[in-house]
Amino acid sequence: MDRKQLYWEDVEIGEAIPTGFSLPIDMTRLCLQVSGTQDYYPVHHDRDFAHTQGVPDPFVNTGFLTAALGKLLTDWIGPEGWLRKFRIEMRKMNLLGETMRVKGRVTGKYVQGEDHLIEADLWCETEGQGVTTPCKATILLPARG
Amino acid sequence: MPEKKTPEEILAEARKMIGNETEPVASPYPVEYEPIRRYCMMVDDDNPLFLDPEYARKTKYGAVILPPFAPFGIMSGGSPQTMARLMGQGADEEKVIPPAPGMFLINIAQEWEWFRPVQVGDRLSTKIRLADVYMKSIRIDPKAFWIVFEFIFLNQRAETVCVARNILLRHRSPDEVAADG
Repeated sequence: MDRKQLYWEDVEIGEAIPTGFSLPIDMTRLCLQVSGTQDYYPVHHDRDFAHTQGVPDPFVNTGFLTAALGKLLTDWIGPEGWLRKFRIEMRKMNLLGETMRVKGRVTGKYVQGEDHLIEADLWCETEGQGVTTPCKATILLPARG
Repeated sequence: MPEKKTPEEILAEARKMIGNETEPVASPYPVEYEPIRRYCMMVDDDNPLFLDPEYARKTKYGAVILPPFAPFGIMSGGSPQTMARLMGQGADEEKVIPPAPGMFLINIAQEWEWFRPVQVGDRLSTKIRLADVYMKSIRIDPKAFWIVFEFIFLNQRAETVCVARNILLRHRSPDEVAADG
């Protein structure tokens, strides 16, 4: 299965990243989260424990969030693209029972030496809380010319 | 009974540790396909670059590579520190974990930078550096400690593959804050 390659010239500042997606956070997803991140801290999968910590429900961990944001980027930039830098802020929890949407937008585009780079804002959001996890990415792309 | 230290005194001790670094702890296993598959599965990621050796062989990497954020935690069955403890190696993390008032921990932010890809078969090690610790007020604790760790991921050639800076917050309970006046 081929993956489309994104080229620097084809990116427009302001455009929405087209590979946004949604993930319902149910108990199965929390189990997948434990499996995928090997993070066994119970606040991320155990309702009773989460309540003892004063949180309304288990919430997904940072490894899960970064995997989702990484998927949005790597699905978009193709096999020749390279994620160079990234910042994520965990401002609000993405809770069991919510659907987490992962989105992004291009905010900058420039050449540095031989490198063709773009900047993007990315975020996770839920219906109940709005933006939970704002992020910034710097991506190296191949150029056609 | 020893006198309880003030947050300012604890901060002075903590800041002496800035720059401390653990020895690299190696994952006992090489980077493997199956942990990558489970990592991708949790977010419905079907990118063949991470999952399909035949596809990946035809790319510039020549082999399946680790997804960018995967170094944290999934290197063959657990974090290197966890595996080191399980395998009896021990990790000298006490060198980099600063004292701080309060037992509540909040993960605030991460900053990542990547330098080279990681392929299935590579052997990764991690070292942790205490990059900074400072006091900064938050709503519930005017003397919360902000702690910055750097996780430096190395391959079997001792090359840095990526660095993750983790900014954490330690704060006291409302009762502890009130008792401090």
